Amino acid sequence: MALSRAAIVDKAFTERLLSIPSHPIREDLDSPVREGTTLTARQTFALFESQASSRHLDLAARELKVDGQSFYTIGSSGHEGNAAVAAALRPTDMAFLHYRSGAFFMQRARQVPGETPLLDVLLGMVASVDEPIAGGRHKVFGSKSLQIPPQTSTIASHLPKAMGAAAMMDRHGRQAFSPELPEDAITVCTFGDASSNHSTATGAINTACWAAHQNLPIPVLFVCEDNGLGISVHTPEGWVESAYGNRDELAYFSGDGLDIVDAYEAAVDAVEHVRSTRRPAFLHLKLVRLLGHAGSDVQQSYHNLETIQNAEALDPVFLTAKLLVEQGWATPQQLIAAYESLRSRVHALGQEAVNRPKILTAEEVIAPQAPLDEDAIESEVSRLASSDERHEFWGERLPEADRPRHMAMQLNRALGDLLVKYPESLIFGEDVAKKGGVYHVTAELSSRAGIGRVFNTLLDEQSILGLAIGAGHLGYIPIPEIQYLAYLHNAEDQLRGEAASLQFFSKGQFQNPMVVRIASYAYQKGFGGHFHNDNSVAVLRDIPGLIIASPARADDAVAMLRTCMAAARVNGRVSAFLEPIALYMTKDLHESGDALWRVPYEQTSPHVAIGEGKTWRDGSDLTIVSWANGLWMSLRVAERLKNDHGIQAKVFDLRWLNPLPAEQLVEVAKSTGKVLVVDETRATGGVSEGIFATLIDGGFEGRMKRIAAWDSFIPLGEAANRVLVQEADIEAAVLQLLGKDS
Amino acid sequence: MKALLVCPGRGSYQKAHLGMLQDAHPLIKTLDEFRETHGRPTLTELDAAERFSGTRHVAGENASLLTFGASARDIALIDSKKIELVAIAGNSMGFYTALYAAGCLSLLDAAHLVETMGEFQKGNVIGGQILYPMVNENWTLDPESLAAVAEVCQEPDIHLSIRLGGTAVIGASKEGLRKCMEKLPKRKQGAREFPLQLPMHSAFHTPLLADTSTRAQEELGTLPMTAPKIPLVAGNGQVFGQWADPKAILDYTLGAQVHDTYDFTKSIRAALGDYAPEAIVLPGPGDTLGGPIAQIMIQLGWRGLRDKQDFLDAQSSESPLLLSMAWPKQRKRVTV
Repeated sequence: MALSRAAIVDKAFTERLLSIPSHPIREDLDSPVREGTTLTARQTFALFESQASSRHLDLAARELKVDGQSFYTIGSSGHEGNAAVAAALRPTDMAFLHYRSGAFFMQRARQVPGETPLLDVLLGMVASVDEPIAGGRHKVFGSKSLQIPPQTSTIASHLPKAMGAAAMMDRHGRQAFSPELPEDAITVCTFGDASSNHSTATGAINTACWAAHQNLPIPVLFVCEDNGLGISVHTPEGWVESAYGNRDELAYFSGDGLDIVDAYEAAVDAVEHVRSTRRPAFLHLKLVRLLGHAGSDVQQSYHNLETIQNAEALDPVFLTAKLLVEQGWATPQQLIAAYESLRSRVHALGQEAVNRPKILTAEEVIAPQAPLDEDAIESEVSRLASSDERHEFWGERLPEADRPRHMAMQLNRALGDLLVKYPESLIFGEDVAKKGGVYHVTAELSSRAGIGRVFNTLLDEQSILGLAIGAGHLGYIPIPEIQYLAYLHNAEDQLRGEAASLQFFSKGQFQNPMVVRIASYAYQKGFGGHFHNDNSVAVLRDIPGLIIASPARADDAVAMLRTCMAAARVNGRVSAFLEPIALYMTKDLHESGDALWRVPYEQTSPHVAIGEGKTWRDGSDLTIVSWANGLWMSLRVAERLKNDHGIQAKVFDLRWLNPLPAEQLVEVAKSTGKVLVVDETRATGGVSEGIFATLIDGGFEGRMKRIAAWDSFIPLGEAANRVLVQEADIEAAVLQLLGKDS
Repeated sequence: MKALLVCPGRGSYQKAHLGMLQDAHPLIKTLDEFRETHGRPTLTELDAAERFSGTRHVAGENASLLTFGASARDIALIDSKKIELVAIAGNSMGFYTALYAAGCLSLLDAAHLVETMGEFQKGNVIGGQILYPMVNENWTLDPESLAAVAEVCQEPDIHLSIRLGGTAVIGASKEGLRKCMEKLPKRKQGAREFPLQLPMHSAFHTPLLADTSTRAQEELGTLPMTAPKIPLVAGNGQVFGQWADPKAILDYTLGAQVHDTYDFTKSIRAALGDYAPEAIVLPGPGDTLGGPIAQIMIQLGWRGLRDKQDFLDAQSSESPLLLSMAWPKQRKRVTV
């Protein structure tokens, strides 16, 4: 049987090493490994061990796969030069690593006593519950003690958060919130040449440069591990240098990732630059990819044998061993013995790993996904800032002294009080500072709290959310603002793939708490068109563990915002807080001047638990279920139905779109036996689908009807109302449901 | 068989071991000559005593080398055809024995280290040590006891001295010891009652020994340390391999090893998780590390062990995980 490429590379290591003539052995291991470098022979031996460990893990993954025991074979072979980057860094420099980082991981683990990286990686491959970071949920490089938050990204979606964490690193007083990271810590992220083209990469690097251009500290090292390939697609020669080698704000360093000395020196220079100047750098390491993209990738299908063999000739593990032999530090036999000893250890550890327990139930799978300690959250909500602190922020007159106001104003006050209560909170987004946001929700907060805590960002939602995730990693509770719901969609994966998944993939050991405020929904009078009136929340609702708050009136908005902040603090939760733009300034409900949509501001408010809906008016004829704009319209229609038709409608506000108030929903539905769902989102993928499913799952057998927005983008002008739910539609639907439409 | 060697600490030589060194092993003879040169009773003499004396056998200046000698002799008797040592660890003073077994120090240099550190104790016991269990009868961790230990270690001059599997060894000043005895809930396991104070032990592996560390660096700073031939696992979980920096090993030995927690649990976890040995060999005297190691394996789920009964079942199987040289049947699996 023909040997696999893995077996050929493995065998060649020994054969090629034995062909190198031995030299007299030198023992002054603290001397330069070769003339003209600061890298010592002793350091090189350590790097060799890290590289060889990583190689044997790759080989073991393939062997275990054959036995059906391993579930992940994307390896690090050819990229082992990244051990040099770890050697140049400290284990307190937060590292966001891509999936070819085996040698980096091994090398960093050497810097912290008591780590067992070989076993840990093997436990990840076999998806054992004993794997220390993800507990069998994914094969990742991650470790709390090594400051490596786990990444599942196969692209570059971890770059915005690496940039974000760096942007927060030098904030005054930051160590109070992340004391484990020293003052001069930096962040590092690694990615491939193909991924360097991804919008998340270009966006994150652009944002780092944007900050550096203004002399804002942003100590981040971008490490591009360039093997010239994105699976089967070649990166054009010179493209990475061309794209990143000429930016004023981005120091560009390049190194030969196949030559451990050159890689180390380039890494040391790059790290030193970032650490001392607090400015971003791009380290371009050129290396090769061995053994294909993954175990399942047949590289022979797109590469000829000569190309494959040319890459294999550049095996970095062999090249480091060759250096040690040629420079007289070791005999080939010594290094082969070390290589074989590692094989034997990895094999034995692999046998231990395959016998470790697996996750057995769905409950175990999701256990770390959405922790919710309701009592602690309620208690946290009731914790108040002192009067002195509030006066310092608000001045002599506290906001509760004012008359009842609309939602935008009261949210502004709630945010102000949250800034007082949580010194670790930050508000940022487009136009949130001096302008106070498009709808003045953040008005004057910047001048009161300081531009350091309420600040404008550049126009890039991926970067805004990346900043938030990075800030969360460093112990802050960010409150980023997305200016319009439609703008979220280009950045949605930063919530889906990154923020919401962090606790899941780290068993809660890493958290990125945040409350993302999003100006949402349609019905705006002043500003038309799709991009300012988007009514699609489907992409949020199916993100596991994401809390979605959607208040309709100021009192609920204030209370729910406080709850979301408490959930962030207590359980590290991520919330999307959808603010209905059309209700921001709404003062009245049924008729002009009734002021029913204005409420007074209070420092304390009755606690609104996550997933707790609210019945606004009682009635026995039917139950109208809605939220946000739909609620406001439903309440108006219910009043008219009572006056005009004597119909008593119960109106129930979901308030939370995830989790839905399922039990309450079924209960209020059963209480009348007839349900009308008023859904301002689209018919397809809209919230009403989930409401109906919840009712059916909950055993509701009465009549159900819904009205929802059309499956349409929102047009400009009055035409918008042709595809959006209108009060007349609600009224007609109620009459139809009650058989009174004829 | 690939095995991890774990060397016992100073208190291991007990009454039952009197007479174990009377076989005129050349290694003991060498150590006897070393003792004579320094005008101290030889190991053979001490071992030949009719009765075990607290003041004589437990005192640091004698107990240390007795334990070292007994361990070193057992290690010399390991049959390399049966056992391939893949890593070496120790507990507390047993780390010095491990330095010898790993090839970092010669027998006499290791003896000099052991003797000097033991001698420092003569008439100079600093604070003391207390044992407290952190596991229940099944050898699984007991959260309440863990919390009690964590709480008491918040007090000034009370420190975790050794994390010894299911047992916390707490090191404290005299006042701290009194507080520990008062604050830790009374527990009984088997015939023993806890918290249990150890006689004539200093508060090793705590900041209270900082001066001892300074003195050690002055007197032993030139010890000819070399890189290990067999990987050596330190009391903070650090593994020193064949290309390790000898100076780093010496610095650890005379520094952190003396004044920081000896995390035996972490060191065994690192040894198992890095080397996956088929068995763990315990040289004498005694087998007191057997329980702590089993408790660590249970904490890890090593080889599927979940509680004490699993461990006992494994021990009575064809291939026991622990091979204690104090037990004749197991000793046979290890020696010629």
